[in-house]
Amino acid sequence: MSPESLPTGFTPASGEESPGLYLHIPFCKSRCAYCSFNSYACQSPPAAYLTALASQIRHWADQQWCRERTFATLFIGGGTPTIYGGNELAELVGLCLASFNFTEDAEITVEANPNTVTMPMLTSLRRTGVNRLSLGVQAFSDRLLGALGRSHTKGEACAAIKAARKGGFTNINLDLMYGLPGQRATDWRESLDQALAFGPEHLACYELTIEEETPFARLVEKGALTLPGEEEVLAMAALTHDLLAQAGLPRYEISNYAASGNQCRHNLNYWRNGSYLGLGAGAVSCLSGFRFSTVEEPEAFAALVQKGELPLSEGECLSLAARFRESVVMGLRMIEGISLARLQRRFGLTPAGYYGKMLEELQEQGLIVLASDSLRLTEAGLPVANQVLSRLV
Amino acid sequence: MENIRNFSIIAHIDHGKSTLADRFIQLCGMVTDRQFHDQLLDSMDIERERGITIKSQAICLPYRAKNGKDYILNLVDTPGHVDFSYEVSRALASCEGALLLVDAAQGIEAQTLANLYLAMENNLEVIPVINKIDLPSADPEGVALQIEEDLGLDADHIQFCSAKTGKGVDTVLEAVVNLLPPPTGDPEKPLEALIFDAFYDPFRGTIISCRLFEGRIKAGDTILFMSNNAAYRVEEVGFFRLTREPQKELSAGQVGYIIAGIKTITDTRPGDTITLKDRPCAKPLPGFQEIKQVVFSSIYPVSTDDYETLATAIEKLTLNDASLSFQKDSSTALGFGFRCGFLGLLHLEVVQERLEREFDLSLILTVPSVNYKIFLKDGTMKEVDNPAYYPDPTTIERIEEPFIKATILIPERYMGVVMTLCMERRGENTHHHYPMPGRIEFTCEVPLAEIIYDFYDRLKSVTQGYGSFDYDLLDYRESDLVKLDILVNGERVDALSQLVHRNNARARGLHACEKLKEEIPRQMFKIAIQAAVGGNIIGRETISALRKDVLAKCYGGDISRKRKLLEKQKAGKKRMKTVGNVEIPQSAFLAVLKSDQ
Ligand SMILES: Nc1nc2c(ncn2[C@@H]2O[C@H](COP(=O)(O)OP(=O)(O)OP(=O)(O)O)[C@@H](O)[C@H]2O)c(=O)[nH]1
Ligand code: SF4
Ligand SMILES: [Mg+2]
Repeated sequence: MSPESLPTGFTPASGEESPGLYLHIPFCKSRCAYCSFNSYACQSPPAAYLTALASQIRHWADQQWCRERTFATLFIGGGTPTIYGGNELAELVGLCLASFNFTEDAEITVEANPNTVTMPMLTSLRRTGVNRLSLGVQAFSDRLLGALGRSHTKGEACAAIKAARKGGFTNINLDLMYGLPGQRATDWRESLDQALAFGPEHLACYELTIEEETPFARLVEKGALTLPGEEEVLAMAALTHDLLAQAGLPRYEISNYAASGNQCRHNLNYWRNGSYLGLGAGAVSCLSGFRFSTVEEPEAFAALVQKGELPLSEGECLSLAARFRESVVMGLRMIEGISLARLQRRFGLTPAGYYGKMLEELQEQGLIVLASDSLRLTEAGLPVANQVLSRLV
Repeated sequence: MENIRNFSIIAHIDHGKSTLADRFIQLCGMVTDRQFHDQLLDSMDIERERGITIKSQAICLPYRAKNGKDYILNLVDTPGHVDFSYEVSRALASCEGALLLVDAAQGIEAQTLANLYLAMENNLEVIPVINKIDLPSADPEGVALQIEEDLGLDADHIQFCSAKTGKGVDTVLEAVVNLLPPPTGDPEKPLEALIFDAFYDPFRGTIISCRLFEGRIKAGDTILFMSNNAAYRVEEVGFFRLTREPQKELSAGQVGYIIAGIKTITDTRPGDTITLKDRPCAKPLPGFQEIKQVVFSSIYPVSTDDYETLATAIEKLTLNDASLSFQKDSSTALGFGFRCGFLGLLHLEVVQERLEREFDLSLILTVPSVNYKIFLKDGTMKEVDNPAYYPDPTTIERIEEPFIKATILIPERYMGVVMTLCMERRGENTHHHYPMPGRIEFTCEVPLAEIIYDFYDRLKSVTQGYGSFDYDLLDYRESDLVKLDILVNGERVDALSQLVHRNNARARGLHACEKLKEEIPRQMFKIAIQAAVGGNIIGRETISALRKDVLAKCYGGDISRKRKLLEKQKAGKKRMKTVGNVEIPQSAFLAVLKSDQ
């Protein structure tokens, strides 16, 4: 499509929906061997970081862009947010709720690692309004947990889930991983069964990705890490879809499964390429098409905030067409695909008009389906999504 | 003119020419420390990345000698690799003298000899310089003896230095002033200027590097190219310092540049003589020897829309690289392109990289080939340097292929491995002798096609870097050759065909299939790669279908990063050529010819 034929009259805020708020806690008790998140190992996390974060919350809540909007979700992620105490976290949540406008039914999630949650913490979080808990379980096997360098055990994971239920959480997500060194399809099945036994509302099942500059990447380079073969991993993936669908947790995104009504709204907003404000070290914000990131180093972050400076590192502002393509690429991660009406509202563009012949080719290859109201990947397209997305990006 | 010295620095590869040039430039106060970086004259990206000189580079240095007099030194740093020896010979044509560098630890190597002969052919005064005397393994006295006894150069004139530490460099400069002759020539005679290099500047047109042998030239003069009588009005003349420095005039004995608004690229030919239109000289200067390209490959744009851009890019590049030849070509798999001749495989790679970088193109080069003489049963002979034009085998009487004489210089202990390597490459008539204690000069007659097939890399690897190599074309000899075809999903890819010796066909076929399997990424369907001679399949590999290619996670924090990954994947696809329904990466075409080291 030539630039002349791009629609006019659309602003980056056209067709925008309620934004989400994200807070990043960049600390963990120890670093897992596969992890490439912005996180630093420490036993007791610095109070100065929370002070800086609180000051950022107050600063941003006062900006016009935020004041004009009503947030639909709050997500405290990491790292390991629960490395801080229950009171500190509750205060943080309370501050957010008091400072920003939130919808009545806002989804409020806290991420936690099993060996950092306590009963009092859970109750206090629940009491401040946290209504969703996301637990980093990863595997129900001490052997596999050890291999991943996780700091908790299977026993601690089970106890944490039970405690969360007891503490009143009715919307729980468990993170699980497959394709792990030394893991067989039967091990994975066991993990899934164990997870399902707790009746979670949501499961995130990630295939292990070897990220650059992690201990795992170095082991792979040395040939010291044996990962299951492609066949085995594909079998694990197939098993996941089947088993979870039967259990009433159908797949709704490449790696996410949920009972009806329990899809993670905070993440859906990312896949719809909506607006969000991210606060804390390394967090990324996207305010009506303007995307910027925060310095990654927690100390640098705190120092800048203390000096009264904006702790930002990089920014980008994409053209209408680029944002459209990015939205298509992100949206196709969802099983239901991307809503054509939404694309039209936001960009005035249709995939068929914009991509033309390329889209037809992908349809002929059986990788995508263009329905009257959506564009989505097919069963065959999902496992090779990058082949499609790299054409549409 | 008494105070001008025109000289080149010549040597085997890596003996330190560019580093010595750095020290000269610093000693003459041409750069501030802040401007300086190593191998200052290696200005192309590709030179800096590979750490070798590819283009000769001239620079004009002011120098106050110990005798108190001021001199103008025109220095040319030259490349050392065999593939670029044409650069050396052109540089030498602009000089009266040469510094022959020899690495104090390596001693005399193949290109030391080859470049010395070139200097002698040009009647240059040669000063031997032993470099890298700072190395713990340096043996300056031993190398001095080699220079005196084996090269027959005057021992009294040998200079010792370390271009790295700077030790002795000042005395080398003194030797340049004291031992090399000044240029001769008469500024009052009609202009005779030799074009030894040129490049195209989009704003100013062709910029010519030349050496004035007689006469003078200034802005406003009308010049005449003697080979084609094209005439232009001179806009600017000057010297190459670190940048171009305009001068009032250039006169006999000097080296400099001419800008004359020349937009017709083909008017300028290195080797041509420039004179003045209203007062021409009697006859052109001798010029340069005709170059014989030995390796041929076709260049195609990955995107067929880029054909026109490629056409002008090649024209412009030949200005700056006179050793490249080209003519139109076409391929069923790849569309329209150019058949190009190169001086070797490294030259070929450099041309590809320069075209891609300097003209922002994405290119495919077909499997390199030498030039064959095919005698047909009807009594005619056909020269074929492109396997695509290989005639129907039933019409062929016999085929001849070019042979070279390879001269390999090695320490004695590598004799065995080098001998084996030459035998593997169908070498015949091997000889060896001991030009100096502990070193062997090994000669052998080998088909040129075997040399372009990664010979140099293999030699370097089996001799742990100690082997050096030079060659001369000998003659054409009869050979039992067959055409090896590659089929991708049943479709013959003409750009991957090669002519090979019948006895090697199977091994080469298997190797090609293996390499392609490594190079071609998995796609949505299974891909069969077959090697065939005539109708017989002699090798096969299968690339299984891609079944998994997906990012497990993508959340708000990494949307940009993940998008960039996808964009990279997209860009990678742009560099692939679709043959049938299979996407073949650009790298696959050359990889077929490379070995595994
Ligand atoms: N120790 C030591 N190393 C040196 C000396 N001179 C050059 N080198 C090193 O030798 C290597 C090659 O030097 P260059 O100056 O690029 O050699 P060259 O002769 O210009 O090489 P080509 O242009 O590729 O033929 C570099 O790593 C230099 O740092 C020296 O006097 N002593
Ligand atoms: S707990 Fe999560 S964030 Fe922390 S190191 Fe492990 S994987 Fe990374
Ligand atoms: Mg050099």
